[in-house]
Amino acid sequence: MAISDVKEYTHLTEEEVEQIGRELDAIRAEIEDSRGAADAAYINRMIKIQRGLAAAGRATLLARAHTGRGGKPAWAAGAALLGLAKILENMEIGHNVMHGQWDWMNDPEIHSSNWEWDTAQPAEQWKHSHNYVHHQFTNVLGYDNDIGYGILRMAREQKWHPANIGQPVYNAMLATLFEWGVALHDLDIERIRKGEKDPKEMKRQLRQIVRKGRNQILKDYVVYPALSGRNWKSTLTANLTANIARNLWSYVIIFCGHFPDGAMHFTEEEIEDETRSEWYLRQVLGAANFEGGPLLHIMSGNLGFQIEHHLFPDLPSNRYAQISERVKALCEKYDLPYTTGPLHRQYGQALRTIIKLSLPNHMTSSDDPAPPERADTANEPSRARRRKSDAERPPRRTELGGWSRSAS
Amino acid sequence: MVPERVVSAVLGRAADLFAWSGASGSPDSLIGKRVTQCALSRICGACGRPLGRPVAFVGTSTEVGRNAFHLPPLHTKCVDALRASDGADPSWEIVTTAGFEFVRPGREDDDRRPTFQPNSLLGR
Repeated sequence: MAISDVKEYTHLTEEEVEQIGRELDAIRAEIEDSRGAADAAYINRMIKIQRGLAAAGRATLLARAHTGRGGKPAWAAGAALLGLAKILENMEIGHNVMHGQWDWMNDPEIHSSNWEWDTAQPAEQWKHSHNYVHHQFTNVLGYDNDIGYGILRMAREQKWHPANIGQPVYNAMLATLFEWGVALHDLDIERIRKGEKDPKEMKRQLRQIVRKGRNQILKDYVVYPALSGRNWKSTLTANLTANIARNLWSYVIIFCGHFPDGAMHFTEEEIEDETRSEWYLRQVLGAANFEGGPLLHIMSGNLGFQIEHHLFPDLPSNRYAQISERVKALCEKYDLPYTTGPLHRQYGQALRTIIKLSLPNHMTSSDDPAPPERADTANEPSRARRRKSDAERPPRRTELGGWSRSAS
Repeated sequence: MVPERVVSAVLGRAADLFAWSGASGSPDSLIGKRVTQCALSRICGACGRPLGRPVAFVGTSTEVGRNAFHLPPLHTKCVDALRASDGADPSWEIVTTAGFEFVRPGREDDDRRPTFQPNSLLGR
C-alpha cells in the first residue's frame, strides 16, 4: 500500500509528529557529542580485519596453486576468506564510509571523498544513486529507483506488465550478478530508453563504469590467476565464487531493508511539504530491520538496523544497535510500527512479494498490514482518506521559493 | 574534451554554478534540490564534482558564529569561483572541515532552509 499522508496513516497529530522529531534530534545530538576515539578504533579495527581476511584468502589460493597442496579444502578456505573480505569491505566499510559516517575523523583514507570500494560500481555513482536518490526519496514510488531496481515490480501500485511474469527468474539473475546490476543502477536505463538522459552525462558515466569494471575484472580474473601459474583456473574459480557469494549476500541484505511486509511505499504527495519530523517518520515507516547477533550485524554493514540507518545515515554504524533501543521505545510510545524479524522471515516476505507481484493484482491478495491503531483513538471515527484540495493543503513549499518565505 | 569551466574562463564569462540557477552565487538563486543533492551525494556546489578533503563552506559572520551554513559544500579551489560570481557577498568568510551534518528544516524554524553544520573544523 502506498501512503499519501503519513500523519493520517499513523493517526498522529502535528504536535505529536514534531515531538517525535524532537526526540530523534536529541538522540542524534547525543551520538554526535559522544562520537570519539572508541568509534575511530572500531572502524580502524574493521579495516585491519578486512585486509587480513583478503590477504589470507589471496595467499591461501596462491600457495595452493604453486605448491599443489591443500586440495579442495584450501580452495574453499581461500574463496571463503576472500568472500568474507569482500562482504566486510562492501557492507560495513565502503557503504558506511561513503555516507560520510567517518568524515569527522579527518582521516585521509577513511573519508567519503576518497574511498573506492571493491565492487564494479564507481563510488561517485553510488553516492548519487544511493546516498541521494534512495535516501532522500526512500520508497517514494516513481522517485526511488531502488524499488525493484528497474527490473522487478515491488509495489501493487506499480502497473503490471506481462513481462513481470518472469520476475522470479530476473530476481535470481539480479541476485547472482548483483554487483553488475548495481554498477548500471545510476545510469537509469529507463530514462535512457525514453530518451530523457543527457547523452553527455551518460557517456561520462559509461566511461567510469567501463574503467571500474575493467579494473575489477583484471584484478580477480586476470592478474591473480596469472600469478597462480599453471593452476590459474583454481584461483579464477575461487575469485568468481567469492564475488558471487558477496553478490548474493548483499542482495539479500538490501532486499530485507525495504521489501518485507510492513515497509511502506509513499506517493509523491507525501514529500511535497515535508518537514524534518515528517521525513523522520517516513524513514521509520519505509524501512525494515532484521534481528541477529553482533557478527551478523557487522557482516551486513549494520543494515539489520535499516530503520536507524535511514534516520541517521551519517552517524557511525557501530552506534546503530544502541540507537535502535531508543527508536524502538519511541515507536512503542507513539504506537508506530517498528518492522523487524529474523533474517530468514524478512527475506522470505520479500521473496513472496517478488513472486506474487509477477502476477496481476486481481490474482493475488495484499500482504500489507493494517494501519496502526492507537489505543486512545481506537474508537474515534476514521478520518477521510480522500485526496486534499489545494485549499486544504498548507501552501506548497517549492524547493527554491519556500526558502525565502516564512514558515507556513 | 575541454571542460566547460575552462571554456568559460577563456571567453571571460562566468560558468554556471551547479547548485545555483545560472552563474549568480547569491543565496537567493540556490536550487533547493541541488543543495540536498550536494549534501547527500557529497559533491561540490560550484562544479558538481565529488568533494575532496577538506570541505569548504562560505558564509556570513553570523553563519560562521552559529556554525550553520546555507550554501552547499565546496572544493577549496572552487571557493574563488563562487566569491567572484555575481551576487556573492564580499563579507563572506571561509571555513574548512573534514565533515559536516546536513540538517533539514523543522516546522518551527523561522528559516526554512536546510543548513550544513561542520563537525570537524580545520581552519578559517
